[in-house]
Amino acid sequence: MNSARVALVTGSAGGLGRALVAGLGAANWEIAAATHRGGAFAADLADPEQARSLIARVIERYGRLDLLVANHAAMTMAPVDRYPLDDWWRVVDTNLSGSFYLARAAVSHLRTTRGAIVFVSSEWGITGWPEASAYAASKAGLVGLTRALARELAPAIRVNAIAPGIIDTPQLQVDAGAAGISLGEMKSRYADAIPLRRIATPREIAATVAFLASDDAAFYTGQVLHPNGGTTTAS
Amino acid sequence: MTATRDSVALVTGASGGIGRATAERLAGAGYRLAINYLTNRAAGESVATALGGRAYCADVSDPAAVEELVARVETELGPIAIAVSNAGVYQRVALEDVTDEHWRRTLRINLGGAFHLTRAVAPGMRRRRQGSIVFVASELALVGSDRASPYVAAKAALIGLGRSLARELAPEIRVNVVAPGPVDTPLLPDSERGPAYTAAIPLRRIGRPEEIASAIVHMAEAPWTTGAVYSPNGGVVIQ
Ligand SMILES: NC(=O)c1ccc[n+]([C@@H]2O[C@H](COP(=O)([O-])OP(=O)(O)OC[C@H]3O[C@@H](n4cnc5c(N)ncnc54)[C@H](OP(=O)(O)O)[C@@H]3O)[C@@H](O)[C@H]2O)c1
Repeated sequence: MNSARVALVTGSAGGLGRALVAGLGAANWEIAAATHRGGAFAADLADPEQARSLIARVIERYGRLDLLVANHAAMTMAPVDRYPLDDWWRVVDTNLSGSFYLARAAVSHLRTTRGAIVFVSSEWGITGWPEASAYAASKAGLVGLTRALARELAPAIRVNAIAPGIIDTPQLQVDAGAAGISLGEMKSRYADAIPLRRIATPREIAATVAFLASDDAAFYTGQVLHPNGGTTTAS
Repeated sequence: MTATRDSVALVTGASGGIGRATAERLAGAGYRLAINYLTNRAAGESVATALGGRAYCADVSDPAAVEELVARVETELGPIAIAVSNAGVYQRVALEDVTDEHWRRTLRINLGGAFHLTRAVAPGMRRRRQGSIVFVASELALVGSDRASPYVAAKAALIGLGRSLARELAPEIRVNVVAPGPVDTPLLPDSERGPAYTAAIPLRRIGRPEEIASAIVHMAEAPWTTGAVYSPNGGVVIQ
């Protein structure tokens, strides 16, 4: 059995995913970096069978699992009555069901290592957002999943979540394109609505996850941390 | 007021405890009732008959069935002013024992039911510039519960859905969420209604369906309330 503690990070090719791999790596985690497509740990997590197989491949390769960071996400937007049904369920089944399938497949391994789970929710899951009904529902569902599994899996496994606000990732370029403005304008538009007057760096969001994963957070379970620059006070 | 009191209210899962009580209260307030049920036809028909409404069989997890339900109600009874997404299923299962099908079905009914209903009623409500939608979630979504991860996740997702839709569908349509604590209906297992359980509830008893119905109808009719989550729960959650 490998002696380094092993973390599975999903969505590892994305803006936040890359920072998670770097941040957890710097904190001495051995990382299985899962992606949607390509590489040894590719999986479409909306499919329960592929989630099971991903966990099996991680165990086969590393012999153990100490941390699951469910960071993968799908995102589309549309008005609720014109939202294509397949797209709506694709978002919910990727983000919420996929995280559930992973947790279910990982739980026996995490019990052995007395490990932890961190779900990446979103500020929009807390506040809701127009035309983001699928995304917001999926991310709010992760908050519920966090609270349910924290109670069920204690004391062996700690389960927490983060609900970040706007992060400086390539998605912003997409948002700017959709709004027909420059990237700089997009950033300052978001920043204006945030008390700290800026958007988050991926690095500081990854640091919040690294904290929840660490022994410093050994007394945290069922909690949602909100690194969002002060936009919400709600839970 | 969002609706004149001779307009139509649709309640899903109105063959069950909370749905039936909600339908009764809405009928008492003057609404014409569309009573949705799935398997319990006898209950659905008898509620409809008692309230002078109509019963409609439809599976809320099936988007086409819900479209047809809404179309039939609006043809036969008139435009829907109030839609209550109440149909739900609850089963306690440990994480490792949750089958793919159990997960899927819980999500499709408890979350999908509300999504399917909203997408079917929203265009008409928007056109008429009036409408009110209430989702029935659960107090468990706020605090979690062991051996109920599919239910808790689906009900928490429902709260996020309600908050999104409240923003999206304003100002014409209001969307609110009621998150009941344990209530005396067939859904609640014996293990969650005995003395050991109620001793941990500040008000020392489980709720009555009428006590949830009054909250649902209040939110449905409150003209300046949208995106709110109200949890009548006997004090189980105080936060
Ligand atoms: N009782 C509680 O302690 C409690 C607490 C918090 C939240 N809630 C929520 O309150 C709501 C009402 O529950 P209840 O306590 O009144 O339970 P209930 O008496 O068991 O009623 C459930 C209702 O949902 C209907 N239903 C289930 N699946 C359906 C489907 N696929 N399509 C259409 N209808 C369907 C049932 O119809 P048929 O019987 O005709 O099939 C029944 O009318 C649920 O959403 C539940 O989660 C209940």
